[in-house]
Amino acid sequence: MMDGMSSSVIPRKRRDPVLIGLWISLVLVALIWLAPVVFILFTSLKSESEIFSSAAFALPSDFQWSNFSVAWAKGNFNQTFVNSSVITVIKVPLGLLISAMAAYALAQIPTGWNKLLLVFVLFGAMIPFQVMLAPLFTLVNSMGLIDTYPGIILPYLAFGVPYQVFILHGFFRAVPKELTEAALIDGASHFTIFRRIFLPVSLPVLSALLILDFVATWNEFAMALVLLQDKNMWNLPLGLMSYQGQFSNNYGQLNAAIVMTVLPATIVYLIFQRYFVSGLTSGAVKG
Amino acid sequence: MADVRIEKLYKAYGSVEVIHGVDVDIPDGRFVVLVGPSGCGKSTLLRMIAGLEGISAGSISIGGHVVNNLPPAERNIAMVFQNYALYPHKTVAANMGFALKMQRMPKAEIDARVDTAAEILGLKPYLDRYPRELSGGQRQRVAMGRAIVREPKVFLFDEPLSNLDAKLRVQMRAEIRELHQRLSTTTVYVTHDQIEAMTMADQIVVMRDGHISQQGAPLDLYDQPANVFVAGFIGSPSMNLIEGVVSRDGGSLRLDAQGVSLAAPDRAGMEEGRKVVFGIRPEHLELDETGFEAKVAVVEPTGSETHLVLRAAGRDIIAVFRERHAFRPGDTIRLKPRPEMVHMFDAESGLRLD
Repeated sequence: MMDGMSSSVIPRKRRDPVLIGLWISLVLVALIWLAPVVFILFTSLKSESEIFSSAAFALPSDFQWSNFSVAWAKGNFNQTFVNSSVITVIKVPLGLLISAMAAYALAQIPTGWNKLLLVFVLFGAMIPFQVMLAPLFTLVNSMGLIDTYPGIILPYLAFGVPYQVFILHGFFRAVPKELTEAALIDGASHFTIFRRIFLPVSLPVLSALLILDFVATWNEFAMALVLLQDKNMWNLPLGLMSYQGQFSNNYGQLNAAIVMTVLPATIVYLIFQRYFVSGLTSGAVKG
Repeated sequence: MADVRIEKLYKAYGSVEVIHGVDVDIPDGRFVVLVGPSGCGKSTLLRMIAGLEGISAGSISIGGHVVNNLPPAERNIAMVFQNYALYPHKTVAANMGFALKMQRMPKAEIDARVDTAAEILGLKPYLDRYPRELSGGQRQRVAMGRAIVREPKVFLFDEPLSNLDAKLRVQMRAEIRELHQRLSTTTVYVTHDQIEAMTMADQIVVMRDGHISQQGAPLDLYDQPANVFVAGFIGSPSMNLIEGVVSRDGGSLRLDAQGVSLAAPDRAGMEEGRKVVFGIRPEHLELDETGFEAKVAVVEPTGSETHLVLRAAGRDIIAVFRERHAFRPGDTIRLKPRPEMVHMFDAESGLRLD
């Protein structure tokens, strides 16, 4: 009663219970997501004996940096790291470029067939690739591309482009058509409009797609497992799997291998995350 | 600089025809305003001149050359859009210089031209800013700057002032007009605002439903509207249009409209029993004891004038007085149209009776 009266005299800042609940769940979810990362990171720096004697989330008492160098050497990371890098560095920018050009054409150059073409492209995003693994192997094999970079990059492109075209098409459609028209009057060709206006304007969404695609390609396992048979052509996830099979008893080194596998994707994410967030929200706000 | 000739121009989207054979002749250096309600085809016509819309039939020539099949960039025109269409990631200077860069003009010359245009438009302090850092009026000026640096043969404006507030609109109106006087470049300007049309144009083209309703000098349209549509569209507040039937009272003609009898001028075709529309502008109604009776509904003093909304002949009538009157809603006053200012139209065709 007294409380009610005093608050009516001096309006106090009321805390919204829903907001508090949301904050608590946010912190909880963050902790749940963070826990395995912390566990892996700490374990990768512990010695074999310490792993079994200390708590899972205890800080390592003595940093075992050697876990990393040993895992690198044993796991043939020299080769798998290069393979993953080559595949990702070629596939991700190339896929984005193809998708962006296709999305621009579908969104900005009317042919009368745009909708049909878009639906056709989108079919590619609707079929789960697992269904196609067996025919994909037959196809790549018949082209003699098993255990080659093109043999894995081309299927990655084929399965990645439709989804990116879908996202970019929506974004490019939202760019006011007057911008294109002004540029056409200014004497720009469609290619110039694409390069000088659409690419810079859609930098946030391109960054978001770059992150997503980088992480997905870097971590891709199933298709690589089918298409890359030769040990020297394996990417990181394949190398990691084999490492786990052979040296699963040494948790310190295994976790060091995991950290090394995940690190590049994390770094790319941290570099571009600023754009990532604005890219995901910009379409929603600007319509 | 160049003249623009539009001959028998048609535009159809599939089976829907939106422009029905339009002819407009724009002499070199003229400021022509296309005006009409939304959906009348004025913007489509402008976009066809720009080359942003295809032509279904007819021809457009600029400077004596038919440009029907030329892409926008080769028509030597510049266009200012309603939403400015500035490149958001480029500075003001880069926005203005973009077209020249596309023409591979040397950088020194681009800079010189951008500088001159910025000087004219008062944009010099803003050359390094981005569009998002500018106010609406400044963005509008940048859009104009982008047009003038190209030194085009024809300027096209598509409702450029619609996004500005009322005060800025009046200011920019004068600026655009002044710019035209300075550059004397042929200009085609689209608006739905008849005041913009009246104040800016050398020549107004009034459009309706894909047809040209009337074209001519602003005051000619005001004084001699060719039909009921133009009579009602041009002028603010708009002309009072009273429908009635012609009758003869001795030697003089009268118009009977729902209990009000007005003296009608003798015009060709004013035979007894014909349905006509009697048009009188609000400022051409005078207080007169011999006039018709009208009841005051609303009084709107603007300071310089007093606008009255009145009820008579079963409809609203607007009257405008220079003098200040102490009328109150509910008062009954007597009004008389100035006879020489009366417009007569055929009720059926809507055409002017002279």
